Formats: sequence, structure tokens, C-alpha cells
Amino acid sequence: MREMITTNLPVFIIIAPLFVSFILPTLSKRIKLVENLVISVEILGIALAVYLVSIILAQRGMPLIYQMGGWSAPWGIELKAGSLGAFFALAIAIVGLPVALFSKGNLSVEVGAEGRTARYYTLYLLLIGALTGMALTNDLFNVYVLVEVATLSCVGLVSSQKRPQAAKAAFRYLILATIGSAFVLGGIGFIYIITGHLNMGFASQKLSDIWQNNPRVVWTAFSFMLVGFGVKSAVFPLHIWLPDAHSVAPAPASAVLSGLAVKGYLFCLLKVLYFVFGPSLMQVYSVHRILVLAGMIAIVAGSILALAQSELKRRLAFSTVAQVGYIILGFGLVNTKGLAGSLFYLLSHAVIKSALFLSAGAIVNVTGKKHIKDLAGIGKKMPVTMAAFTISSLGLVGIPLLSGFIGKWNLLLGSLETENLLPVIVIIAGSVFCAAYLFPVIRIAYFEPAPDNDLKDPGLPQKIALILLSIMIIVLGTVPGSVLELANRAAAELLAVL
Amino acid sequence: MFNLILALFSGAAGSLTVGLIPESKNRLRKLTVLIFAVSSALFSWMLAIDVFAGENIRIACELGRLTFSLEPDPMGAVFGLIASSLWVFAAVYSFGYMEKKKNKRTYFAFLLLSLTMTLGVAFSGNLVVLYLFYELLTFSTYPLVIHERSSEAVKAGRKYILYSLIGAGAILFATVITYSWSGNLEFVGEPVFKGLLRPGLNGLLLLFIAGFGVKAAVIPLHRWLPAAMVAPTPVSALLHAVAVVYSGVFGILRVVYSVFGHEIVGQLSISNILPWIAAFTILAGIIIATRQDVLKRRLAYQTISHLSYILLGAFTLKSWGLAGAVFHMISYSTLKVALFFCAGIISEKTGETNISRMQGVGRSLPKTMFAFSAAIMGMIGMLPLNTFWGKYYLMKGSVEAGKWPLALVLIGSGIINAICFIPVIVNAFRGEREKVSVERGESSLLMLAPTLVLIIISLIIGLVPGLIWPGVEAVVKGFY
Repeated sequence: MREMITTNLPVFIIIAPLFVSFILPTLSKRIKLVENLVISVEILGIALAVYLVSIILAQRGMPLIYQMGGWSAPWGIELKAGSLGAFFALAIAIVGLPVALFSKGNLSVEVGAEGRTARYYTLYLLLIGALTGMALTNDLFNVYVLVEVATLSCVGLVSSQKRPQAAKAAFRYLILATIGSAFVLGGIGFIYIITGHLNMGFASQKLSDIWQNNPRVVWTAFSFMLVGFGVKSAVFPLHIWLPDAHSVAPAPASAVLSGLAVKGYLFCLLKVLYFVFGPSLMQVYSVHRILVLAGMIAIVAGSILALAQSELKRRLAFSTVAQVGYIILGFGLVNTKGLAGSLFYLLSHAVIKSALFLSAGAIVNVTGKKHIKDLAGIGKKMPVTMAAFTISSLGLVGIPLLSGFIGKWNLLLGSLETENLLPVIVIIAGSVFCAAYLFPVIRIAYFEPAPDNDLKDPGLPQKIALILLSIMIIVLGTVPGSVLELANRAAAELLAVL
Repeated sequence: MFNLILALFSGAAGSLTVGLIPESKNRLRKLTVLIFAVSSALFSWMLAIDVFAGENIRIACELGRLTFSLEPDPMGAVFGLIASSLWVFAAVYSFGYMEKKKNKRTYFAFLLLSLTMTLGVAFSGNLVVLYLFYELLTFSTYPLVIHERSSEAVKAGRKYILYSLIGAGAILFATVITYSWSGNLEFVGEPVFKGLLRPGLNGLLLLFIAGFGVKAAVIPLHRWLPAAMVAPTPVSALLHAVAVVYSGVFGILRVVYSVFGHEIVGQLSISNILPWIAAFTILAGIIIATRQDVLKRRLAYQTISHLSYILLGAFTLKSWGLAGAVFHMISYSTLKVALFFCAGIISEKTGETNISRMQGVGRSLPKTMFAFSAAIMGMIGMLPLNTFWGKYYLMKGSVEAGKWPLALVLIGSGIINAICFIPVIVNAFRGEREKVSVERGESSLLMLAPTLVLIIISLIIGLVPGLIWPGVEAVVKGFY
């Protein structure tokens, strides 16, 4: 029995949310049931992800390989759950549950009619399934399919509020994301043309043999991948869709879009860069320099743009642009510390940004005020929400003992290993910027006199979601133990120095 | 071990307790604040006695592949003693000062929280913990700076937090470099860089000094300090003359003596420039002070000047210089807090904050002005006050280091101090007050008593410097 679970684990962890999402539309009249189903599938997701992680750690990084339909690679589609995949699957699971909890009983306020709620959950689970698929797949075309599934569900989530701005933002997102997909597909096509393989392992082997015959094609494939995934993961200056899309979506949707969806595309980019092209080819084409440069520009520009925003959710959205910069920068460091730091930062930002968006959403829903200056005294009226916001802000700034610090610390060590001080300075300056755009919110919320009205914290499931995320930020910061270990293993796997 | 934990966390525990006490329960809150402040001071003393006796107290744990350790050495214990003891005085003074003010709960909660953060800086055993508490100290004192909630206060708060965060960023930068070069961040034992002389150390030391120099108000990184004077007076007294600024000074001492070690610093070319940076701040600070009319701002610039006395002593890299630095750290703190307390009493009782309007305040507030005068004598460096000894050792250190012009700088600074403050005293006793809207009589006992006790303590130390000498000696012996 146990062996059966273990061998089928990689596929089961993907199928579970997808399967539930397909039956949700038939239950659209029974919202309570839908909500409970979603939450239970998320709890199942956490259990499976933790189990997967424990197996991978116990096997010292030996991946679990599942061949779809029994066809072995390179003919069939292969799922490969190594340290890297398990790490991202864990990230998805631990963010997915609190976000689903936050949606419980609260969503119809934001999305309008109850019928839309079921549709929202369908898209939500589709997205979770697609992201988990991205974590584990080892096949390039499969990556494309999952990227498309994720993109369409994201667009659906953005437009789930019945408002003209939502439709506009969703349309803009749809157009840009489709352009991105086209580039990704093009990139995959180029790789397929010269290697004849879609399986990452085989493609990579072939590529390292023959790349010198077609240097231009490889170069084009690189650039298509960078631009395609760059648009989707909002790498500056390809981020223009993000602020609108993430700020008009309902709170839990913004949380999952900023926290996970963007990370999914980054993760695919990481896999393509390291598993298909490989670190040595990256260095030949100086792709790692481009990544570091793009990361630094994103950190600075995103932070400055975030400072200029007066709406809370828009400020958080631009902050995501800046934080994506850290992750991209880490991808370009090509050493274990930098990659481990980048991966840990990815996880930490997923948790932190979800907490920020959820608490911001709760504030906006209760007060109806979008602007930061109107939030005077919220800290006293909504203590749990603001406490979560404060803890996550401190985490994002990178105070020791909170999760952001460990990611940043490893990123800093990784940057120093490249003998280049500029990224180090930018990473630290980014933290100061981050404090500059988040702390005024905290000051206004706590230290300005509150107007006379009775606002309250949101309901119990929402509070539990916020508390869960805050605890995760603290736990990841104080006892990252096996999670950091897994990130290090994943980095070693990426660099093929097992 | 327990002394360390209790000393460190009394403040935080007190802060939580105060946070739970409703705004209206004044007496209960005062009692709580006093209990926790006293307990912190008491356990700091017990801890310091153990540390001076040579006991090694260490709490360490590994979190996320980084060691976090608390390990007070004599220098940390001395700073801890200064901070926690003065906290009791400031707390008592605050009871009087805050009597008619608003938001007392927030004020006292954050006052106690800052105590824990300051002691954390003092007792930190490695750079990561030092950085952590240094950063947290900024956040926990920020609400005190903006306590008035006026737009001026908010602006000062923004300045304070930005300067501090950028400074902390520089420290993090330097810490990461230290870690990647040496793989070691611990203070106790041999200095981190002992025997690791390599290019780039000059820049690293400068980076550390720039980072900590923000809180130590080294000119030109000092601008936040005069602005932060909008805070309530006890906060200015305790935090902006002692705790916060000392955490910067202490950080520099740590870096020079525990991270680099005086031998390595002595071999760096930058070590010839550092004392002159301090000397410049000493003179520039006090010269700017003479041009200030607001008493608290004048005192703030004097603080800037005097903090660099300590740095100057540290940068001579000689044992007498370090002894002078530690001695000055102790004795200056008691007098400066007293000076600010006097300024607070004057502004509370007469409503005057500007020096030009303080003519004759000495007649209505004789005891306060007596305390003020005594403290000023100390600032100039006259016997029988304790600061004389610190200055004497500092000069001795300068001469020992072969840099006798530094001794002249100290003497010159004493003279400018006199030029700066003697007229204030003379005016206060001689001039006539134009309108007597003054509440007659001395200020409340809660504000006056701590001031006078501090002056008496300073006098006693000045007359019997042997009282604190064992502490100073322990610090110096730890490094030489």
C-alpha cells in the first residue's frame, strides 16, 4: 500500500486538485460544500507535499520518477520529483491552504453572486494543479501546457470581480500573457528543432553535444525563453500588466497570483535554464549576467515605483515586481548559496506576500478605503490583521529571525562569491526601500488617531489564515532546518553537483 | 545564565504587561514599569558582577545555519549596566513628566521594549545578534520619537528611521563580507580577523564605522539626532543621549576591538585617519552647539561632540585610550541624562525651550539650575566631577599613541563647552524674568529627585574614581 502511494505520489499530488476542480461547477449551488472540499483538498495537498519532501530528504535527493501511461522517456511524458520539484510543491501547498481558508465564507462579498464563487474555486484549484504540475514535470511541452492552464486560470481569477476595471485589467493581462506564451512555445520549438527531444534530460544531453553547430538557434531559444517567462513573471520592464491585475483581483486571488502564480513561471524559467540549457551554456551566452542585471534593475525600479503608489494594494503589487528581482538575481548567480538563497526567498516571498495581500484585502474589504492615508487607526480596530501585516512587512524587509532574512543572507553570500559587490549593495538597498514603502502603512495604522466607527477583524477562518501565515514566517525564519536543507539540495541538483 | 535572561527580557515582559494595562490605570502602570525596570537593572548588576569575576556566560543556538549567541564580556556588561541603571532614573522622571500627557500606555510600553533592545545590543555575542538588536532598537524607539504625533515629530521620525535603516544596511553589508572572509562572527575570544590581514580591510572597517556611525552621530551622519529632539524629554535624555547613541558607539568599539582587534587595526593605513574623524566631530559638534538657541538642540549637538570623545579614545588603539573611552562612557552618561532632565523641568515649569528666553529661571528653579550648573562643570571636564577622569585618561591615551594634538583638541573642546554653556547659567541666575507666568516653587519631586541623585552619583565617582575603576580595568584587560 505504502509503496503504491510512493510510486504514484508525483502524479497524485497534481491530479488531486485538478480532479476536484472539475467537479466543482456541478456543485455551484452548495457553496459550503464547495468551500469545505477545496480546504480539504488543500490539506491533502500539504500532507502529500510534506510526505514527498520527507521521501526526497530520506533518499538524499534521489528523484522519484513517474512515467505517464507507462511509456518511458523519451517517448512518454515523465514526471520527476527531485529536491527542486518537492521544494516548490511544498511552497504551493503551504500557501494554498491559508489562501483557501481566507476565502471561506468571505468570497461572495468580493466576487458578487454565489454562482461566481464556485467558478472562482474551480479556477483556483486549476491554478494550484497547474503550478504543482510545473513543479514536477520533466517535459518541455508539458511545461507549455501547464503554463497555459495556469495563465488562463489567472486571467479568470483577475476578472472574477464584476467591475469594469477588472475586465480591463484581465484583458490586458490576457493579451500580454498570450504573447509571453507564444515566446515560450517558440523557445520550446527551437529546442525541439535542434535536439529532437522534449524530455528535459534528453534535450539537455543532446544540446550540450550539438550547440556549437547551431549557436544562433540556441541564442534565440534563450532569448525567447527569457522574454516569454519574463513577461509572465513580471520581470521589470515586462511587468506592466501586473499592478492592475493584482490590485483589482479579490484579496485571496491577489495573494495567490502574487505569491504563487508569478513564482510558477519563475520556477519554469529556472528549470529550463538549468535543466535544459545547463549552467555551462548559460555562462557561454552570458545569460547569468543578464539575469543578475535584470534582477538589480527590477529591485531598484520596482521599489521606486512602489514608493510612488498611494493605494495599498497597488503598492504591494509593485513590491512584487521588486521582489521578483531578488529571485531572478539569485538565478543568475550560478552557485549553490545564491541558488539556495533564491529558492528560499521564493518560498519566503510566497508566504509573506500572501500574508500582505490577504491582510490588505481584509482591510480594504472592511473599511472600503483603498488609499494608505485613509487607514488611520486601523491597527487598534483590526489587531490581528494589522499584526499579520506588520510581521510580514518585517519579514519582507529582512529582519533576522524572520524568513526573509535567511533568503537574503544566502543571496548576499552567493553574490559575494561572484566577487561582484554591486548586487550586494542593491540587495541591501532593496531592503531599505522595502522598509520605506511598507513602514508608513504601519505608522498610519497604529499611530494615527482612529476615526469613530466600529470596524472589526474579519471572521474566524480569515483570522486563522493570517495567523497561520504569520507563524510560517516566524518558523521559516527561526528553524528553517530541513526546508533550507532542501533548498540547498535543490541548488546542488540545479548545478548538477550532487 | 538566568541573570542574563532575566536582565535582557525584563524589559520586553514589562512592555507586554504595560500593554495590557488599560490607559486609565495610572498607578498600576507606574508600579509595573518600576518593577520591571528595577528588575532589569538588578539582574544586570548581578550579571556584571559575574562577568567581572571572569565567569563566561553564553547562550547560543543555531538557527538557519547561523549562530545566534548572547555572551556579555566586560565591555558589554558595562554598557548593560549604564543602560539598565539609567533606565530606572528615566522611568521615575517619566512618571513626573508624563503626568499630564496623552498616550501613556504606548509610551511606557515602548520605553520598556527599548530597554530590552539596548541590552540585547550590549549582551550580543556575535555580529548577527548585534545587527538584529540594533535594527530592533530603531523600530522600538521610533514610536517614542513620534510620540507627540505632530507633523514635525513625524518628519523627525522619518529622518530617524531612514538614517538608521541605511546605517543598518551598511552594517549588514559589512557583516556579510566579514562572514564570507572569515566564516566567524563571534566576539568573545580572539578577534575575528586576528592574523587575517588582507586587502580590503580598510574599506570594511570604514563601512562598519559608517554603519554604526549613524547612531553614534558622527558628523556628517548626525542630522537625525537634533531632529529627534521633538521627542518627550525623558526619551531625549535616555535614548538620544545614552542608549541609542551608545549602541552606535558600542558597535564601533566592538568592531575595532572584537572583530578586527586593535593589532590589526593598527596595521591598517586608515587607523591614522580615524582619530581625526573623531576629533573633527568633537570640535564641529560643539561649535555648532554654540549657535543653537533651543536648549535641547544645543544639548544634542553637545552629545554629538561628546560621543566622539569615546570614539577618539577607542581609535587611539592604546590601553589608556580605551580606558578613557570606557570611563567617559560611564561618567558622561550620568551627567548628560541629568542635563536633559533639567532642560525638561525648565520647559515643563516655565514653558521656555529657548535659551534666549531663560533669563532668571534660576530664581524660580534654584535646585534645577544648581544641578544644571554642576553637570555643565562636568561637561567642561572640571574636578570634582567624574568626567574629568575620563578626559584625563583620554589625553593620556592620545599622548601614548604619539598623537598629542588630540589632547589639545580635547582641551579646546572643554573651553568651547564653557563658552557655550556658562552664559546660560549666568543668565539664568542674573537676568530678570519678563513675565512671571511661572508656577512658583520647584518642580515635582518625581522629576527633581532623579536629577539630583544623578548629580550626586557623578560627584561621588568624581571624588572616588576607584569605584568604577575595576569595571574599566576589566574591559581594558579583556583586550590587552
